[in-house]
Amino acid sequence: MTWSRESKLNGFLVLLSVMAAWELVSRTEMLNPLFFPPMSKILRSFFSLVFSGEILAQILSSMRRAAAGYLLAALVCIPLGIIMGLFNSVYRALEVVIETARPLPPPVVVPVAMLFFGLGDGMKVFVIFFSCLWPILLNTMDGVRNIDRVLIHTARTFGLSQGRAILKVILPAASPQIMTGLRISLAITLILVVISEMVGSSDGIGYFILDSQRRLKVDQMYAGMLSLALLGYLLNQLFLLFSNTFLSWHRGMLRSDK
Amino acid sequence: MSILDVEGLSKSYRQAGGESTLAIENISFQVNEGEFVSLVGPSGCGKTTLLMCMAGLIAPSAGRVVVKAAEVDGPPRNLVLVFQEYNKSLFAWRTVLGNVLFGLEVKGKPAREAEEKASYLIGLVGLDGFERHYPWELSGGMQQRVAIARALAYEPEVLLMDEPFGSVDAMTRLELEDGLLRLWKELGTTILFVTHDIEEAIYLSDRIYVLGRRPSRVIQAVEVRLGRPRNQLTTRADASFMELRNEIYKQTAPRLSSGW
Repeated sequence: MTWSRESKLNGFLVLLSVMAAWELVSRTEMLNPLFFPPMSKILRSFFSLVFSGEILAQILSSMRRAAAGYLLAALVCIPLGIIMGLFNSVYRALEVVIETARPLPPPVVVPVAMLFFGLGDGMKVFVIFFSCLWPILLNTMDGVRNIDRVLIHTARTFGLSQGRAILKVILPAASPQIMTGLRISLAITLILVVISEMVGSSDGIGYFILDSQRRLKVDQMYAGMLSLALLGYLLNQLFLLFSNTFLSWHRGMLRSDK
Repeated sequence: MSILDVEGLSKSYRQAGGESTLAIENISFQVNEGEFVSLVGPSGCGKTTLLMCMAGLIAPSAGRVVVKAAEVDGPPRNLVLVFQEYNKSLFAWRTVLGNVLFGLEVKGKPAREAEEKASYLIGLVGLDGFERHYPWELSGGMQQRVAIARALAYEPEVLLMDEPFGSVDAMTRLELEDGLLRLWKELGTTILFVTHDIEEAIYLSDRIYVLGRRPSRVIQAVEVRLGRPRNQLTTRADASFMELRNEIYKQTAPRLSSGW
């Protein structure tokens, strides 16, 4: 998908219109301005929070937890997914457990995690870890299982041991699908870090949003949401940059198939 | 001197019903050092099974393969198999140069030496200037040349080729045949070439082993005494080329001479 400059410009125009409409709805008190403050006030609040460094501090606390849970999930699930993809016996042994645990909506593990980890960082990291497991694990496994036999035979005819074949052939061959899993989990991470911080925390962007609401600093609440939206956008862009660089061969290949 | 010995090789597969079917039965033949030998047989006669056993990728049910006096019980170090499906066999994430470097990396060749060797082979298969291209940017014939260069860079003493030109168009095929003969002459690698195309086998080979239908056995060994270098026009028009062709056709497809 390619966006022309024109359609991007149109997108900005629509965004500006939405913000103008927001301002209007609030100023004319169509919605209670106490719960729905004017956009100008939200933006003022947002910028003062940015310049005071408060937002950044909250986001950093959240990002630390998010990164820990996400990276831990990747570190466990990519190797495990490869093993499951390579060895059918391991796959069959774990299949039932995975199919039972996977449909659980991730927030459901919050109470369990609270029992084990209390309200500290451990709880949040565990919740994020648990919810990131499945997309990475299942995509890695699928990616490995779908590798053509010919490619495996090629690795073997060049005398590669199984360990080296994994590093030099299997991992790169499955990397597009592993990347898909990582991308899905990235979105989930953001959801779960906010949820877990709303349930029990004394810092982080999720805490900040809920706390602002409780103290009726509604403009700050919206400013927190705005910063979260921007953060999500930024993370996604960073991820795309990373995967486009890393998987440029794959993008080109897909384009040439059309 | 023989470099490759296949002795009484059989391979049976267990089917879904529990019965086992015999893909190849008691196949024996040998290839001498530096020779170009072809195996021809009808489609589905177990040629690929035979090659996989020889490359040490699957274990035979009976018999053995000996490469340079060593029995094959895993992929031998001095032998490489080139697959028909070049598009599945090439590493899509590596450039042409990266693909050709693969075997050299595996062998632990110093980077500088490896690059020189790879560039030399890329030149030999006529792909200079395409070093930085990815496989999907090349035509089918070019991709198979990359696969051949990659195999040769590994410096095998024996090159096994499984219908390598089976998925390219007819014109490209003739070019690839001549290109392969030039490489063979230049490098002196022993080549065992599998095809179902009898004329291709005659054009390329010193000797041809003809396989029968499943379970396949060697039904005939044919010495090809055509001069070299060969030529797509004159060699194929040669009387002894025709004679060989007819002889092999009579063996493999006796109905051809009698019509429907």
